[in-house]
Amino acid sequence: MKVRRWLATGALALVMSLGALVGSASFRAEEVSILMPSSFTDASADLVKAFNHQHRGRIHLKLIRGPLNTESISDLAISSLLLGDAPFDALLMDVTWLPKYAAAGWLEPLDTWFDRRDQEQLVQGARLGNDYDGHLYRWPLVADVGMLYWRTDLMDQPPTTPEELVAVAGRLVESQAVTNGFVWQGRQYEGLSCAFLEVLKGFGGNWMDTSSYTMELDTSAATAAASWLNDLISEGVSPYAVTNYAEAESLQAFKAGDAAMMRNWPYAWAELQKDDSRVKGKVGISLMVAQQGQRPGATLGSWGLSLMRQSQHQEAAVEAIRYLTSEAAQRERFLNNGYTPIQAELFNDTEMLKASPVLSDLMEALNHAVVRPPTPLYAQLSDVVQRELNGLFTDAGSADEAMATSQKLSQTLLRATGATP
Amino acid sequence: MTLLLASPALLLIAVVFGWPMLRYAWLSFHAHSVLTGLEPMANGGANWLRLAVDQRFWLDAGQTARFALISVGLELLLALAIALLLHQRWRGRGAVRALTLLPWALPTTMMALGWRWIFNSPYGPIEVLARSLGLNSLDLLSTPSITWLVTVFADVWKTTPFITLILLAGLQSIPEDLYGAFRLEGGTPVQALRSVTLPLLLPYILLSLLFRLAQAFGVFDLVQVLTGGGPAGSTESIALYAYFNGMRFLDFGYSSTVMLAGFLLLTSLILVGTLLLKSFGVLRHIDP
Amino acid sequence: MTLQLRAINKRFGERQVLNQLDLDVANGECVALLGASGCGKSTALRLIAGLDQPDQGSIRINGAEMVDVPAERRKVGMVFQSYALFPHLNVWENLELGLRMRGGTTSARDDRISSVLEVLQLSEQARQRPSQLSGGQRQRVALARALLRDPLVYLLDEPMSNLDAQLREDLRPQLRRLMIGGEQPVVYVTHDQQEAMALADRIAVMREGSIEQIGTPRELYLQPASTYIAQFIGRPQMNLLPAQKGVVTGIRPDDLRLDPDGTPCTILSREWFGSNQMLLVHCNSADLRLVCSGETEIDAEPRISWPTACEHRFDAVSGRRLPSD
Repeated sequence: MKVRRWLATGALALVMSLGALVGSASFRAEEVSILMPSSFTDASADLVKAFNHQHRGRIHLKLIRGPLNTESISDLAISSLLLGDAPFDALLMDVTWLPKYAAAGWLEPLDTWFDRRDQEQLVQGARLGNDYDGHLYRWPLVADVGMLYWRTDLMDQPPTTPEELVAVAGRLVESQAVTNGFVWQGRQYEGLSCAFLEVLKGFGGNWMDTSSYTMELDTSAATAAASWLNDLISEGVSPYAVTNYAEAESLQAFKAGDAAMMRNWPYAWAELQKDDSRVKGKVGISLMVAQQGQRPGATLGSWGLSLMRQSQHQEAAVEAIRYLTSEAAQRERFLNNGYTPIQAELFNDTEMLKASPVLSDLMEALNHAVVRPPTPLYAQLSDVVQRELNGLFTDAGSADEAMATSQKLSQTLLRATGATP
Repeated sequence: MTLLLASPALLLIAVVFGWPMLRYAWLSFHAHSVLTGLEPMANGGANWLRLAVDQRFWLDAGQTARFALISVGLELLLALAIALLLHQRWRGRGAVRALTLLPWALPTTMMALGWRWIFNSPYGPIEVLARSLGLNSLDLLSTPSITWLVTVFADVWKTTPFITLILLAGLQSIPEDLYGAFRLEGGTPVQALRSVTLPLLLPYILLSLLFRLAQAFGVFDLVQVLTGGGPAGSTESIALYAYFNGMRFLDFGYSSTVMLAGFLLLTSLILVGTLLLKSFGVLRHIDP
Repeated sequence: MTLQLRAINKRFGERQVLNQLDLDVANGECVALLGASGCGKSTALRLIAGLDQPDQGSIRINGAEMVDVPAERRKVGMVFQSYALFPHLNVWENLELGLRMRGGTTSARDDRISSVLEVLQLSEQARQRPSQLSGGQRQRVALARALLRDPLVYLLDEPMSNLDAQLREDLRPQLRRLMIGGEQPVVYVTHDQQEAMALADRIAVMREGSIEQIGTPRELYLQPASTYIAQFIGRPQMNLLPAQKGVVTGIRPDDLRLDPDGTPCTILSREWFGSNQMLLVHCNSADLRLVCSGETEIDAEPRISWPTACEHRFDAVSGRRLPSD
């Protein structure tokens, strides 16, 4: 544990001192630093340059290049926050971290700076996952939701209900038009929870009521959702290998033309249009299937910027956050790096639409965004579900049992952590 | 009088070992998470009840025990062979001795980083080699049934020198005359290994076993850096789970419970081991 | 002649430890290898036992060449200076180990061990570990183990050097009773001339890897072959007078006597031991040791002399004894 902390502070200190060296030219300016995964710092280099030019002599923005891996950067951030003196003013946060960080008291509410009007300009899905306990703690940078990718050369229309999906996939596999019907993420990891949440919503279910900490995993809808996923494997709609698939494996199979449908995030689109893709130009985007009368769900990913409570430069930091999330910035990131914008208007922008024919499908999916339970305990609750579901897929067992156990284990966890009496 | 003389040592143990243990024990009966505002709040035995049904903990406990027993077992066998070899006199022995000890001198995190690079798919040397041999991708770090063996391998590589060192010291403590006497009694050198070397090495074997088991059972930095506990939690150790509960989930009450439970499991493992050794009469050979 | 060493050479690295060593030990004879540390006496013993190999030479026991026979098949009974008892086994197990490896029935084994324990008065200690025994008891266990070997040769490597003086004297008769004077030849390594003279039939004084002189204790005392032997055997040391015309004259301290007609000298020191006393006197530019009865009155300026017949004459250059004329 200690080594880890040392590494974390050591790494940050190193980055800081290097930054300080570079920034000494504008020593009068207020220093603002933001910790981000390296993919985001790399994609924002030009924006930072422009911002610093515009604010020279007043604010100097520096992005701290953190690890690429989601969990590693959270470990790094938490390590320095637990020590009580985080060397960054703002942090780029995954949607699932927010409740935990907010409950720990590490974040400054953004309500003073971002009002209702600002929020109303966001696309539906980007408005979610930014609040905790009635306060705004995060301003979105990119939007991200789970979607159904389908092969336009194999079907005219994407399926909209679970029954349709099974029927279409079954027919295609039987006629040997394609090896696998539907690939998704069945490995025991966070991606499985995301896929499950979408199917759960499609069956009209709910994971938990976070306001009262009531678990809803033993409902008939939840059992039906789990059972449907399990049947996909046992009935051959999905290959058994999905039980060890993450996003990368699903994409690999779909990109090679081995699957008729895939559940994945927006980033997959650009990958599928590359020259080495065997399905280039034959891919459509749709929403995950839902039972007749149920609203389809698209699990919200998304990253956003939060202000640290300890920051000595809150005003300057917010200015930087505004700049990095501005319409111009979103446009640039979308055109250069394919990051999904958050501003509703941009989805109707002609320049943007010209760059991507699926922008409207993305918007549609964002309008159906659902958040994973916004509780500080989400990571542990998700772990329970991942284990039970993956166990269900790989061992013989019933969906009833898996969901009942998930329900029971989750409740035990809530009691032990003090969430429920 | 003895107690008085030992009191500074006892005090030291109490401070560096007893105090944290008491603290863990106390915290394990409290909810102490972001939901309690990071303040401890008594919750009866809720943490322990949760632990009892926490599949992840028991899976980790099994994985940790498997890792510890197999690593330490392999290390012991390997170290014994190496120590016997290094105890013989031959040309260049000094240099080889120094070389063998090198892995032990390397910081664990650096070593783990090195192995992670070597085994990574698809750019690590092992993968490149496998491809050039026309093999399929090995995915040594992303296949749950295999990755734990990689952690065992890394641990064996790193700590075999440590046991070798202890056993070598043990071998050097056996007077040469005993081997002479044994041969004059009509015993062959091979019989001497069984009747003289091993029984006299036993205290050193048990010492290293005890020390290494405790260490391997608490394995943290190796898996944290090499695999992060993955894939799919297949290499997660108890210490890593305790760390995740504290540092990742900010649930310090449960983190303490996991830590303490791990310690209790280790203690009982060693107790059972000692009883087994006793019942097989192995400990009889140790001078009281 | 049942133990025969011929032209043994042994080097350890740069050091020539044994140099053309010859030795014969007859049945029932005890030969003591006596010498300062590093003279090669222990190495000679290890070569006989087979624990080290000679570079050249021959070792025969009862006429059979032993050099290529491994130690475990040589049938020698050895008592080590350290006793080399197995610390993890009790007395009984220590004795049983060899018998077990060499075969035989359990009851025969038990009988032999019991009787040897009885002879050595160790029956009470049968179940004790070596660490629980006194030095003398450990030594007796080592003796017992050598006895049980039924050896062709006994090799004793300073078996008493770890014991105090009183115990050593007490154990000598026991050693003589059990091992020395039996059928086997005995080689007894020691650096203690008194022990060698008390126990050995013959003493071989070793120096730099070979035997300087071998003979009965009496021969060595009365006819030392060199100044080295002369000064090594006999306490206090023989007086050596300064060389005159290439001859060194030696006189034993007990051959000097107080004589009113003798040469005048001055007393440098006096040590009184009860039955006798030793004087260190300065006489004619030489310091001499003199031993006389403890009752003798000593003048302040005594005069001393010695009978010419008691003089030992050595070549001043080679140190070898000159033939008496």
